[in-house]
Amino acid sequence: MNAPVLSAEARELALAGMGASRLRKEDARFIQGKGNYVDDIKMPGMLHMDIVRSPIAHGRIVKINKEAALAIPGVHAVLTADDLKPLKLHWMPTLAGDVAAVLADEKVHFQMQEVAIVIADDRYIAADAVEAVEIEYEELPVVLDPYAALQPGAPVIREDLAGKTEGAHGKRDHHNHIFTWDAGDKSAADAAFDKAEVTVSQHMYYPRVHPCPLETCGCVASFDPIKGDLTTFITSQAPHVVRTVVSMLSGIPESKVRIVSPDIGGGFGNKVGIYPGYVCAIVASIVLGRPVKWVEDRIENISSTAFARDYHMDGELAATADGKITGLRVNVVADHGAFDACADPTKFPAGMFHIVSGSYDIPAAHASVKGVYTNKAPGGVAYRCSFRVTEAVYLIERMVDVLAQKLGMDKAEIRAKNFVKKEQFPYTSAFGFEYDSGDYQTALDKVLEAVDYKGLRAEQAAKRADPNSPTLMGIGLVTFTEVVGAGPSKMCDILGVGMFDSCEIRIHPTGSAIARMGTITQGQGHQTTYAQIIATELGIPSEVIQVEEGDTSTAPYGLGTYGSRSTPVAGAAIALAARKIHAKARKIAAHMLEVNENDLDWEVDRFKVKGDDSKFKTMADVAWQAYHQPPDGLEPGLEAVHYYDPPNFTFPFGIYLCVVDIDRATGETKIRRFYALDDCGTRINPMIIDGQIHGGLTEGFAVAMGQQMPFDAQGNLLGNTLMDYFLPTFVETPHWETDHTVTPSPHHPLGAKGVAESPHVGSIPTFTSAVVDAFSHLGVTHLDMPHNAFRTWKALREHGAAL
Amino acid sequence: MEVKLDKQYPLDVDAARAWALLTDLKATANCMPGAEITEQLSETSFKGGVKVKVGPAVAQFGGTVDVIEAVAAERKMVLRGKGADKGGSSASMDLTAIITADPANPAHCILNGQAAVIVNGKFAQFGGRMMVQVSDMLLAQFVENFRQTALTLPAAEGSPTAAAQVAGSAAASVGDAAAPAAPKAPVVAREINGLAIFWALVKSWFGGLLGKKA
Repeated sequence: MNAPVLSAEARELALAGMGASRLRKEDARFIQGKGNYVDDIKMPGMLHMDIVRSPIAHGRIVKINKEAALAIPGVHAVLTADDLKPLKLHWMPTLAGDVAAVLADEKVHFQMQEVAIVIADDRYIAADAVEAVEIEYEELPVVLDPYAALQPGAPVIREDLAGKTEGAHGKRDHHNHIFTWDAGDKSAADAAFDKAEVTVSQHMYYPRVHPCPLETCGCVASFDPIKGDLTTFITSQAPHVVRTVVSMLSGIPESKVRIVSPDIGGGFGNKVGIYPGYVCAIVASIVLGRPVKWVEDRIENISSTAFARDYHMDGELAATADGKITGLRVNVVADHGAFDACADPTKFPAGMFHIVSGSYDIPAAHASVKGVYTNKAPGGVAYRCSFRVTEAVYLIERMVDVLAQKLGMDKAEIRAKNFVKKEQFPYTSAFGFEYDSGDYQTALDKVLEAVDYKGLRAEQAAKRADPNSPTLMGIGLVTFTEVVGAGPSKMCDILGVGMFDSCEIRIHPTGSAIARMGTITQGQGHQTTYAQIIATELGIPSEVIQVEEGDTSTAPYGLGTYGSRSTPVAGAAIALAARKIHAKARKIAAHMLEVNENDLDWEVDRFKVKGDDSKFKTMADVAWQAYHQPPDGLEPGLEAVHYYDPPNFTFPFGIYLCVVDIDRATGETKIRRFYALDDCGTRINPMIIDGQIHGGLTEGFAVAMGQQMPFDAQGNLLGNTLMDYFLPTFVETPHWETDHTVTPSPHHPLGAKGVAESPHVGSIPTFTSAVVDAFSHLGVTHLDMPHNAFRTWKALREHGAAL
Repeated sequence: MEVKLDKQYPLDVDAARAWALLTDLKATANCMPGAEITEQLSETSFKGGVKVKVGPAVAQFGGTVDVIEAVAAERKMVLRGKGADKGGSSASMDLTAIITADPANPAHCILNGQAAVIVNGKFAQFGGRMMVQVSDMLLAQFVENFRQTALTLPAAEGSPTAAAQVAGSAAASVGDAAAPAAPKAPVVAREINGLAIFWALVKSWFGGLLGKKA
């Protein structure tokens, strides 16, 4: 049995476990076009669905005439809200405690709202039939601005809520008001402002944007009328939650509902919610007894499925004259669109927005968020961020810049002065979060040195002194803290299900393994990184560890992948499931080696008898024994399941610095340099981390520099194609420099914190910080995104800096 | 998407004939490229459609036109049009047209048009940026068709200036004037030509550039 003698280091390297930059296992099939996405799925007898959508933003449905559509050969059904009513499926619950129309019931509330569905033999016939459905509307006044929506005489958007003064999150004081949510201590914050030597305030608008994953949303629903079971292939970041909701809505027992998320082409929060298209395809399949496919096009995706942000924010800081922050107040008006369909943990209607005190030791703070209905599409999802963390980080980082500017202090200096210090961790913020670990100062020093911050400031001063300089130079700096890994089930649930996650590992007799997970990868590379965790924990080469996710009939129940929760929650479940196996394996090895368990040492891939390197059993030896002849009193087999309920969130952080040169003639902003230092605790696969950071920075660049969803006065969305909506390619994307420090999370079994969202959350305010910095000598304290050439050019002209 | 237009078009037609054509809504509609009145619902209400073709995309708006106000003394007509396209667009227009005599030349008049056009749905989303230019183009084509049609109308009786004008134009074009009394339909563009719109846009854009430099 003894293998050739290899050093422990050599054997460890061969495992390709944690810390190895192992190549992604997923890519072999993706780069050959062998992925299996929802739209690749074809089933015998499959029909196709298309959706008739409202051309107007607000109106009453006067009449729907289906006859012409039904007369088209190949059309099987045209369904409206009236057809769903007997099934009570014309409205559905949202994840935020509201209801949303599945198909418009008497009224349309936003442009592109789903009004009717058409089922036909193929996609082309369905599209033709959509045009043949005649709908007459009576137009109603449109409200797009949340402040206007709260005026006394504003049009009533949600007539279905008439007289309802109690919402899912407390009192509603206006017909377009959803909730008001408070965090922190208002009187303490007010007192800090009363006593403050200096105060600053700033209004800022975080525009409505869309996650815009490359693959749009869709599903193939297949109800078997003989067996009475329902299988649905769906673009979902949380297939188990979909199963529970589908079972609750349809009355089909959960055991007869199978939800499969196959390969997913990016999610970024857009694929967390449950959309009318899914529900309609499932209903159509049940009614017709045949599989029904629905895949939305790009315009439908951007127009009607979940958007992100749309926060109108007012921030205030109180400080001493030498720049020590003493208080923070924030007021937000949040535009949630026509239905409250945010995908936040149930008790947090503004998500984790109360991370808004950032990396700073602020003794008194208060935040208030008011959710408002408008005639826009519903959503408000976490676009590559933990719930509303992007908005919070943007606000605090902007405010610290504004304060620095008022005091004439350097951005880096004021941050260092207010950091939560290394020795203060675990640190409880004024909002009650317990930050697990951090070392902000070390990271900041590393970045400032790497970019020669002093040199950059000197260069900027020289440029400002030259009236003929063709560019304005700006330096952006952000020192952010994120809260991810939702979350402890005592605080976090989705529709009552706690936000734990799960892992099941089976070691096969010959020493290979399979792990099944409650999460679902959408490009994160779970099949690669999860295997690395098991490899290190159990000494099995990651190459022979299979990772499966996304099929509810095989995977253990989990809450899915979003909010950077896979590593903090599911990663911990893997480690702890592996440790259960490890404990049993030790018993078996002790039996095989005829020693006491305590006389064994674990080394990379084997149990060794203490003091005798020649006596050992590898995990593969143990696996064979487990199935061949386990010791008395032990069950055969070698497997374990673990459901991990995290004790706390994790708090990754980062220091980002950006240098921009703005062309004074054209307003074009060139990103000269972007330096991103991330600390996500223990690093599982540095190559994948780098890839995640590059992706997140690129999406952050997109949001800050170009993405927006503009509406005209009638509620027409004027940016729902990729001609208008900015998705950066290699042409526009700047060069990224990455760096890291490692501050493990003390409460996580691996010390890992999650990383995918930090670059998005952290980079967006860094771009704004850099662009505003270029204008700061002209007295500018803030410029709203997107910082596209036209808007920047207007700012140049307004402040007399244009050439 | 709302576009507001306020235009004055001088016409070499006298005010009486222009007004006569304007009050004949069917004939006026025929002057609009791609538009047609298909049914009269009442004294002041009509059913009709407009077909707009830009490249491969065809939008066919069906709807109603109502005469809100027609004041002969002021030669003022107020119309409201409303329609929808099957492809997911809707449009409405409030139009006030007033014909004023040209003080310098009694045989000429000025067609004043004020319109507020609201377009919703796909048309607004795709075409938003070109709405003003396309509207300008459409109106220019409409006015030319209107002028040609008005010229074929018989001059109002007892209007010496108009009669003189008719005689004058007859002298210029004997063949037409000698034709029988029924007005001959002029050759008007029945469909909006996408290529023509594009060409006109390019021309006006370059024109704008040159104009700025000059």
